[in-house]
Amino acid sequence: MQRTACPERDDWRLTADACGFDFHTIDGERYWDERAHYAFTLQEIEHGIEAPTAEIDAMCLELVGRAVGHEAFLRRLRIPEAFWPLIRDSWHCDEGSLYGRLDLGFDGHGPAKLLEYNADTPTSIFEAAVFQWTWLEQAIERKIVAADCDQFNSIHERLIRRWAELGEGHDLHLAGTTESSEDAGTLAYLEDTASQAGLATTLIDIEDIGWREDGGGFVDLEGRDIALAFKLYPWEWMFRETFGAKLSHAQTRWIEPPWKAVLSNKGILPLLWEMFPGHPNLLPAFFEDDPRAASLGETFVRKPLYSREGANIALIRDGTAIVQQDGPYGAEGFVRQAYAPLPRLASSHAVIGSWLVDHTPCGLSIREDENPITGNSSRFLPHVIV
Amino acid sequence: MKRSRRVVLTMMGSAAVGVASMGLAQAKTCRPGTEAVPGAGGRLHCRAIYRGFGGTLHHFHGHGHGHGHGHAGG
Repeated sequence: MQRTACPERDDWRLTADACGFDFHTIDGERYWDERAHYAFTLQEIEHGIEAPTAEIDAMCLELVGRAVGHEAFLRRLRIPEAFWPLIRDSWHCDEGSLYGRLDLGFDGHGPAKLLEYNADTPTSIFEAAVFQWTWLEQAIERKIVAADCDQFNSIHERLIRRWAELGEGHDLHLAGTTESSEDAGTLAYLEDTASQAGLATTLIDIEDIGWREDGGGFVDLEGRDIALAFKLYPWEWMFRETFGAKLSHAQTRWIEPPWKAVLSNKGILPLLWEMFPGHPNLLPAFFEDDPRAASLGETFVRKPLYSREGANIALIRDGTAIVQQDGPYGAEGFVRQAYAPLPRLASSHAVIGSWLVDHTPCGLSIREDENPITGNSSRFLPHVIV
Repeated sequence: MKRSRRVVLTMMGSAAVGVASMGLAQAKTCRPGTEAVPGAGGRLHCRAIYRGFGGTLHHFHGHGHGHGHGHAGG
């Protein structure tokens, strides 16, 4: 695994704008950054990232299977009891997943370590699936990288294939926070892949989901029933909002399904460690109120059970928070995870995003930051296989 | 590993999203589970209840945040 500086395409902004990738710059800072790329060997990809990703996902599924049958697990994850049947039923009915992203610490030498699982509402998929691939094609054409370079990336094709399986002739509603350009872009891209799979699609804001008592169910602004919905909106938020109480009474099938609420919770980190102690792709982790957390000593990473984009995560060294991200999370409690320094190349910390579609590892993305905690504006860099 | 593929992007960035029209007048009596909203010609009619999802984002981030903030993905 190497970081290689390279010239950027002089027209990449035009290319980005032309395909609607309008969040390539955030608050005046580069989000998409092709002034360098990461290079991996095929061995590193297949054995260092792809295989561990599949294994971690399998462990996660085993955890869900255990959690839905044991109230103690759901209680430790602070999932409201009212939604346990919804989660359990979605699991037993085998409601399908579209995608997810594991965030891994990986330096090309030791085993990849699971930092967290973005199982419910992963973003950055357009840039991983499409814009990164477009970069590779043009970088080869323009001799920025060698002609025989490849990329670990079949995300786009697999999304289309998966939509065809999940759609089953239903119309698909895609709902999320459309006032955010990043979320709107993610929704638009996923809508596009669903459309290419032959699904009829409707994009709506999450606030524009309605509820109709007569006939019972969620409807769109036109009053049409929502039978199949992709939501880029966290389950834990939906549970506590006004319509949360309606979820159990609705016929709507959700993507990601309710059982993903288990995996998007950072409480899975100690639960995985409990189930698979010493696994090479896991870091020791404990709930903060667990006396065993003391075994981590005074240096660890503190994470809220619910958190996104690095919010409220703190890096504690010798008992003192040396880096801390602000945010609104933490009311449900925290976990402590052993600190595994991220690889630092050219003064930047790098995190691997390992993508799964239908539980199949199929691509990766790199996020880079001077801050050791990856956040919303951490730069996205492309990669190649050499 | 190498793949040739055809990426067709027809809709990225073209999301045109309707905004819920919230009725102001509530004089019309609606059945439970529906609400009165003005329709054509300003006449009230009953429709499904909206905005039962979405509150947490505003609780966390407030309204009107600019690019890159206040989103629900991760």
